[in-house]
Amino acid sequence: MWAGGPFLNVGGMDERIVMVDSGTGRTLTEEELDERSATAGVRLRRKGVRRGDGVLVCLPAGPDLLVAFVAVIAAGGVIWSLPADLEAGALRERVRQSCARVMISNVRPALDAADESCVRVVLGIEDLYGPGPYRA
Amino acid sequence: MPDSPRHNLPAEPNRFVGRERDLADLRGLFDDTRVVTLCGVGGIGKTRLALRLAAGLSSDCPDGVWLVELARLGRPELVEQEIARVLGVHEEVGRPLLDTVSVRLRGRRCLLVLDNCEHLVDRCAEVVEALVAACPLLRVLATSREPLRIASELIWRVPPLDLPDAVTAEAESVQLFLDRAAAAGTRLGPDSLPDVVRLCRALDGLPLALELAAARTSLLSPGQIADRIDDRFSLLTTGGRTAPARQRTLLAAVEWSYDLLGEKEQVLLRRLSVFAGDFDLGLAEEVCAGRPIAGGEIVDLLGGLVDKSLVLCDEGRNRYRLLKTIKCYAAERLRQAGELEALRQRHLDVLCELCEGHLTTELVEPHVPWPRRLEALAAARALVADQQAALDWAARSGDVGQGLRLCRAGTGLLPLGGDLTEIIGWTERLLALDVSGIAAEEIARSTAYLAYGLETRDELARALEVAEKSLVEIAPDDLFPRGVLHSLLVVVLLRMGRPDEAMTHAEEGFALAESCGDLWNQAAGLAGLSAVALTRGRLREAQRYGEEALARARRHGHRWIMARTAAQIGAVAEARGDLATAKAQYEMAEPWLRELGSDLDLGRCLARIGRVAAMLREYGAARERLADGLELSRRTGQRQGMARCLVGLSVLADSAGDLEGAVLAAAAAAELRESIGQHSGTARIEELLARARARLGDGRAAALWSRGRAMQPEDAARHVLEGERVPPRAPAPAESFRPSLLTAREREIADLLTRGLSNRAIAGELVISPATVARHIANIMEKLGYTSRAQIAVWAAENRLVHTAGEPRASA
Repeated sequence: MWAGGPFLNVGGMDERIVMVDSGTGRTLTEEELDERSATAGVRLRRKGVRRGDGVLVCLPAGPDLLVAFVAVIAAGGVIWSLPADLEAGALRERVRQSCARVMISNVRPALDAADESCVRVVLGIEDLYGPGPYRA
Repeated sequence: MPDSPRHNLPAEPNRFVGRERDLADLRGLFDDTRVVTLCGVGGIGKTRLALRLAAGLSSDCPDGVWLVELARLGRPELVEQEIARVLGVHEEVGRPLLDTVSVRLRGRRCLLVLDNCEHLVDRCAEVVEALVAACPLLRVLATSREPLRIASELIWRVPPLDLPDAVTAEAESVQLFLDRAAAAGTRLGPDSLPDVVRLCRALDGLPLALELAAARTSLLSPGQIADRIDDRFSLLTTGGRTAPARQRTLLAAVEWSYDLLGEKEQVLLRRLSVFAGDFDLGLAEEVCAGRPIAGGEIVDLLGGLVDKSLVLCDEGRNRYRLLKTIKCYAAERLRQAGELEALRQRHLDVLCELCEGHLTTELVEPHVPWPRRLEALAAARALVADQQAALDWAARSGDVGQGLRLCRAGTGLLPLGGDLTEIIGWTERLLALDVSGIAAEEIARSTAYLAYGLETRDELARALEVAEKSLVEIAPDDLFPRGVLHSLLVVVLLRMGRPDEAMTHAEEGFALAESCGDLWNQAAGLAGLSAVALTRGRLREAQRYGEEALARARRHGHRWIMARTAAQIGAVAEARGDLATAKAQYEMAEPWLRELGSDLDLGRCLARIGRVAAMLREYGAARERLADGLELSRRTGQRQGMARCLVGLSVLADSAGDLEGAVLAAAAAAELRESIGQHSGTARIEELLARARARLGDGRAAALWSRGRAMQPEDAARHVLEGERVPPRAPAPAESFRPSLLTAREREIADLLTRGLSNRAIAGELVISPATVARHIANIMEKLGYTSRAQIAVWAAENRLVHTAGEPRASA
């Protein structure tokens, strides 16, 4: 368990905590948010996200969700948010209705729903943080 | 050497409609993704999209774009064989084929397109993973209903074509339908548009379903088709009810289209499913005729199926084929009709007859002009895919007799650059089945060919044993195979250092061939006699036999035996020190081998010419041939051939006074030989190194040797070919980004980043939202090619001078 509030680390601005996952106690610092969302934003562009494109985001509430949201905005996309605990039928319907080309999700029912939609690329959160890209 | 083609993509059969944004995105993906798999249900257009994308990528792939069609392959182990076949790679003795394929692809910027991976997806995944790991510049585009599920893969889900909405009818699906209807001769006016829209929606925008529907617009209006397809959904039988919606739609469209066929068309379509890949009219007539279809009807029935988009054909209507989705459906129908076994058997029988005919024309029959022989060879090569399918059926149904017959008739059986390993694999597989019903002499004919494989793998004692046993058991009147066996025995015995026995076989083989007018084996027998004489140092006798062999070979006309006998005369000339004649003989064989397309023999021939030319101090000619030979061997994955050319280059450099180059090339050759488990001839190397040590000093000689071993073969070759000094390792091209790429606001943000500010702090400073800062940062990273925010700060700090001076200047 963790102790202290969001301003636990006051040593430097970069250490400022901007989010705490109330379930796991995982924290996200401002520096982490900025760094991860920047990397993820570039990843999204490289996977084909262009200005104005819808990007479905279906992740449990928590630091990853925040990073994903900022990354979509950074990439110039439009967030289509989907609650991760939505009932499968409703989820499928919403995914099919969206014109999103890209989905960010690790949630099984959402991944299944992508099959009968216009989603071209499904990215897990680890794909957005993952190892560096291939450069020929 | 003429430029080899840079792709094998087929011409597009009709207009490609829509998907422009997708194509642009997909092209971009390959910037940082090595493996992209286009996934989706059958009929959604994966293959067509892949071919279009591959064509668009060809300018980024200087070393080629290679399409490998997997749909026809029945067994996982054929995946790498098919890739090798497409790339023109031949199996190396004793090396895993995949290893040889990566020799071919290493360091090459090329794209491999693997079409229809789903039925072999596990093997495809392993192969792709291995190739991508071994070949850093290789990229792979796969199409599959299921993803490969490997780490480097990006799964790209192919969606249906855009559907029309209430407002606009400009959707891709409508365009495709109208385009294909027009191609079928139907002009659809604006008043039919609402029905077209309804139909496109009913078909879920699935391209194949739309094409099948459009092909029927000459008889039915779009409205009528839409009604009937709707009805079809309720009639779906074959397990389609629980399938995903798109798959159900497609099945409905295919069933609907099939049901509309006349009875004979239905029968033909399902019978066509036995062909492995594309086929011509003749083969269709041979295999598919039979109650209720007469042979003469097939041409019209086939035309009807083409018109209905169920069968595809090239522009000249020479080659026909079925899309995988249609083929699977037709095969299922064939099974239901109870005709599968009968048709597979017929397919096997027909292939046996055709292949035997081609083999006889190519090799055995006397007085056949060379163009006719070459034609037969080409026809046999075009049947390879069907031959594999038929052999598979023979093995599965236990028809060993016909299977062995087909193995023997495959031209791959003779050492003409066919795939010896594959035929041996089939023969062994068939012989492991129940052979009790097969005559001993027939089995002997098949095992004779196993001896070939043993000889190539250097298992000489076993090769000798198997070949001698075959010769005893084979029917006495089976003259052509007997002659071939004698020739094989000559080679084996000479290699084993037993020239007396070799001579007996050469004489017997020749006498037998003389008795029946078999020119091929006459030439081969005389060449064997020449080789025996050469071994014994009887040069004049060797010369006389060699000349007579070439004369008979010329009368036969086959380029392979002509080249073989010419090379024999060349070897005799070399032995008596007449290098000019040797070179002339080898040069004579070169165009023959090119005509034959026999890469392995050609590689050997070029290495010989190059080596002899180097010894003659004809440096220009030597360079040209050795460079050609090296490239050919690399392209076909033959490390032994590459090593041979490097040795030639070493001789060339040495004789031109470039001792350094000689050592480098010899070292690179030794390294290559060791990588395939071969020993290099040490005498020449020792002598060369001794001179190098004396002239250059021990340290320098040793350094050159180890540098040569670490060099890529091409680099070592280039050193000799272009007289290149060993360059200091070229510095990695400095990434020079111009700050002027960035907008004023972006430079401002980059500058703030060097002060360690967070997005929120920058936002506060510039009075914009943090999300906007994030977007600017994403833009900067994209422009500079960075993947992490921290890299910007470093870059901005290094470029601060430039920035504050306000003058753009390339950073060094």
